[in-house]
Amino acid sequence: MAEAKKSSAMGLLLELARVALVVTFLVAAYAKMKPQTAMPWSLASIKTSLSMFAMGVDSYQLLSPGAVNFVAHWLPPFELFLALWLLSGKFLKLSSLVTTLLLGGFIAVQIRSFSLHQEISCGCFGPGERIGPVSLLRDALFVALAIAVFVGALRSGPKRADTDAVGAATVA
Amino acid sequence: MKVYGSKSAPVTMEIFTDYQCPTCGAFFEQTLRPMINDYVASGKVYVIHHDFPLQMHAYSGQAARWANAAAEVGQFETVEAALYDNQAAWTASGNLEKYVSAAMPSKDFERVKKIMDPCAAPGPVDAPTGIAPSPHPCAIDNYIIQDIQLGMKVPVTGTPTFVFYHKGQKYPATSGMISWPILKTFVDSLLSQ
Repeated sequence: MAEAKKSSAMGLLLELARVALVVTFLVAAYAKMKPQTAMPWSLASIKTSLSMFAMGVDSYQLLSPGAVNFVAHWLPPFELFLALWLLSGKFLKLSSLVTTLLLGGFIAVQIRSFSLHQEISCGCFGPGERIGPVSLLRDALFVALAIAVFVGALRSGPKRADTDAVGAATVA
Repeated sequence: MKVYGSKSAPVTMEIFTDYQCPTCGAFFEQTLRPMINDYVASGKVYVIHHDFPLQMHAYSGQAARWANAAAEVGQFETVEAALYDNQAAWTASGNLEKYVSAAMPSKDFERVKKIMDPCAAPGPVDAPTGIAPSPHPCAIDNYIIQDIQLGMKVPVTGTPTFVFYHKGQKYPATSGMISWPILKTFVDSLLSQ
């Protein structure tokens, strides 16, 4: 019984973690694509916002201009797709693995930038947020959530025989 | 005035730099220079330069003084280029005058020297202005202090930092080394609106 309660609580926490990641990616995608000024939404304003995000990606000084443009224009829509994929719960092992790898990559480049004393913006949720201890801790938390969801998805496969036996004994 | 181009250009870029900052040097050489030769020359962008000497750089305040003094006689562009082109040399030696004098006709340099006479002050860099205190009133320090105060409102947390304006809209500040193709794409997106 206690095991069942513990399992239920853990399941709830993992669901909350998954929802947190969904919200994170939705906010991240929105912040990168929304008009950066008082201008209304339009294809032109999205193009400008993504070009602005490209400058943020370029400031890490890791990629060629071509690669920067590719990342800057495809990452926000991919974040949106990932949010919806996580929300659906379909193929959760794969979606959470992709999430973990993506967030792991983000924090790795941020750590590199911080260690090189680059005074640049994270770019995680639009322009203006400098890379520092706060952004690093926050993104480390996101990675932890993603790992938890992935591990939870792995463990929620077919039930083990001993767990079934305990369940059967409790019912009897 | 420390500006490039025409005020009537549709896009304005305000940039805050430190002459001794290596990233600012790279930004000037690889990004700002091609932009000045292309988009500023064709009237698309107006660049306004602001000084933001950082305390960690021993000579950046003095370099900013030389640049402002040169601006007083209409030689800002050549002196800025000379300072960045020879950044490694004067960072090592502290001898800025050599490169500033070589960047302009001698009669203009005499005028610059006169402006700089009360401003020569070796010694520890003053916090928070990033410039060494002068034994006599140094008029051009006021321009640098104004620039720093403006930068603190942005806020500038590192150099280079730049802010774009287009059609009355101010875009969020961006920092760091940005390559010209990427910056050009952003400016083009503004111009296409």
